[in-house]
Amino acid sequence: MRIFDLVTRLVKLVGSAAVCAVVIGVPAPDVQAQEKCDPAATPTKYPSLKGKTISMGQSPTSPPYAFIEPPSEEHTGFDTDMARELFKCLGLKFEIKAGKWSGLLPALIAGQTDIMWSNLFYTPPRAEQVDFVTYRINATSGLVQKGNPKKVSALEDVCGLRATGGLGTVEEAAFREQSKKCEAAGKKPVEILQHQENTAGIRLLATDRADVQLLDTGASGFMVKKMPNELEIAFTTKTQFKVAVGINKNLPELRQAIFDAMKILQANGTQKQLMEKYGIDPELQIPTEILTK
Amino acid sequence: MFDILGYLASPALLNGAALTIQIAAVSLVAGLALGLLLALMRLSGNSVLNSVAWSYIWLMRGTPLLLQLVFLFNVLPSVGIKLDPISTAIIGFALNEAAFAAEIIRGSILSVNRSQIIAAAALGMPSLLTLRRVILPQAMRPMLPGIGNQTISLIKSTSIASVIFVNELTFRAEQIVGHNFQFFKVFTAAALIYLAMTSAVAILQALLEKHFDYFRETAAATKQSHASEAAPAALTEAASTPNGAKKEELPALIRDVCSDLGEQSGQDFVVCRNVQKSYGNREILKGVDFTVKRGEVVVLMGPSGSGKSTLLRLINHLEAMDWGEILVDGRTVGYEQLPGGGWKPVRRLAQARAEARISMVFQQFNLFEHLTALENIVEAPVRVYGTPPKEAEAIARRLLASVGLAQHADHHPHRLSGGQQQRVAIARALAVSPRVMLFDEPTSALDPELVGDVLNVIRGLAEAGMTMIVVTHEVRFARDVADRIVFMDGGVIVEEGPPSAVLDNPQQERTKQFLRTVTQSDLQPA
Repeated sequence: MRIFDLVTRLVKLVGSAAVCAVVIGVPAPDVQAQEKCDPAATPTKYPSLKGKTISMGQSPTSPPYAFIEPPSEEHTGFDTDMARELFKCLGLKFEIKAGKWSGLLPALIAGQTDIMWSNLFYTPPRAEQVDFVTYRINATSGLVQKGNPKKVSALEDVCGLRATGGLGTVEEAAFREQSKKCEAAGKKPVEILQHQENTAGIRLLATDRADVQLLDTGASGFMVKKMPNELEIAFTTKTQFKVAVGINKNLPELRQAIFDAMKILQANGTQKQLMEKYGIDPELQIPTEILTK
Repeated sequence: MFDILGYLASPALLNGAALTIQIAAVSLVAGLALGLLLALMRLSGNSVLNSVAWSYIWLMRGTPLLLQLVFLFNVLPSVGIKLDPISTAIIGFALNEAAFAAEIIRGSILSVNRSQIIAAAALGMPSLLTLRRVILPQAMRPMLPGIGNQTISLIKSTSIASVIFVNELTFRAEQIVGHNFQFFKVFTAAALIYLAMTSAVAILQALLEKHFDYFRETAAATKQSHASEAAPAALTEAASTPNGAKKEELPALIRDVCSDLGEQSGQDFVVCRNVQKSYGNREILKGVDFTVKRGEVVVLMGPSGSGKSTLLRLINHLEAMDWGEILVDGRTVGYEQLPGGGWKPVRRLAQARAEARISMVFQQFNLFEHLTALENIVEAPVRVYGTPPKEAEAIARRLLASVGLAQHADHHPHRLSGGQQQRVAIARALAVSPRVMLFDEPTSALDPELVGDVLNVIRGLAEAGMTMIVVTHEVRFARDVADRIVFMDGGVIVEEGPPSAVLDNPQQERTKQFLRTVTQSDLQPA
């Protein structure tokens, strides 16, 4: 078993090395070209993308990353604007396929969409099914009712409280983890609730059916700005989760193109600008990388 | 309040509602069509079709709709079928809807009285025509409440299609809420839009139920009905027809309608040889030999269970015989000979029945409940025999007039008395220009005072020279009209001969005993 593990790791290592070699090994003029958008070069650089319209799955109910601003039906948000900038940089057309978050990953795996750009975290099990190009590190905030009636100041304080996290999300997992720690320390376990959409979690808080909602920090900031009299942020912690664009495994050239363009958007400051625009801490930007395992 | 109205009118929600309607409407229509097919498969005698339909319904009803949608959207691409979200939703909802609709439709079809189907079969109507013209119209009323429920739940369940990228009403509302957190206002607006859509369905359902309610009395009709009840029956029924046609004498009319009457009189017309029939282990007919000549009136008598009605049903092949041979005018009715002497039914049985032109009148009348008296009569001539509707209607009106029911032409059967219904049934049987008429205890279900009118009509038929086989217990009537009495008991013919012989001077003890009981009960009312 160990030997097998070792072998797979070696293979992975060699694989990454090869990728690195390709990236590093490219001649100097090309490196310079990568730092400036060159839409005209896309058809020759990524032949399979020639004339292609990229279909992008996105959940439009998750501000500030992706949402619509009534009465206009225009899609907007940090993820949406990043995609606009990135595909402009590549000279590629793209269409937004708006759907419930829970349907986005299955559709991406099935090839119904080419990419998913909707505050998606990289995890190794997910990487078995889709490829990732990362661009940001995640931080979560604990949202509580205004005045913080349960005096929560860190994740450790949620023992015995009613806590809600998005169904199947890392936030939910964090509560489960914390609950075990609570029990190990002889405290009451966390009473974990689950919600489908972030706004449904907010409703749980607003109607006093939950004490804490663990939510992405950007989303939390947006919520508090919208409902300053009902909500406040109790604590914020950086997590180890990398936020990434998900790409269908059968589209390696698209993955490469997104990676290349992402590097440019990071180098020329576009990403940080957009993060600021949507109230996301620019410090959360991380150098982009391709993760396929 | 104003905000809610604002959201109500917002294009985001209205576009979502339009998509919801589009998906629900198309998948409802497709689902009902597939559901009807599945229901028919379930009802068919074919065990393969039945189990295929059963399994389909079992699977679709037993698994979550959400998973079915996700399966269609995300698993089919792996076998090269890539559907867009809206097509997926329409197909998914239709496939799911079909399973539920199938059971509602099946239940409604089963609720239609079997006598309706037997009557249609006796008129030579093929099964699809029977389904379309007789069964489905009558199944509509019981079907509508269930289908209404399904439609409303379909409209609301379209909201789950948002997992496959369908931006329907609920998802639109969630998107707006996602941005502005106005849960109450936005969701109230969405709820009002849903309510408007489902109200439209409820209204449509009510209108359709009214349309398919054949037992509903309109105010005008009720008035008319009371008026005719108040007047003495003889006066109203003998009155000339509304369109001025004079009442014709029945025998003359029958000779006119049934053109081949009186030809080759006296030749063998219905010939049964060694006819055998059992239900399970019970032998009903144990080898009956029986002949009726053209123009002859034969009365079948005998205790109940003696096989009289069964024999009638074998003659026009409403039921299949086990063994023997039945010829009508020298031809079999829907049988083909097997090597070794047996018979099996042919495939186009309805056509064979229609070609044989054997009419049947039932104990319980079996009029089509959803059709008026007139429509009952023209149905088979127009739909089975291709008579032009105008011509068929003219004949039907003459027939109704001659049986004394001219002004009841537009009444539904439930508005008529038993005697009137039976006379309509006889007119219906005559309208296909039959060569032989079978009467299965035509007066047994009638109140004693209504029997006379029906028997008079049958007398008129006898006078016209119609070949008839009549199962009845009316001894006096039998003596009047029968050329021959056939007495059956225990699945065999015990005794036969002219009324003077069988009724007045029976030879067999069983005949004597039977006649004693029926004459006693026959005399009592008088």
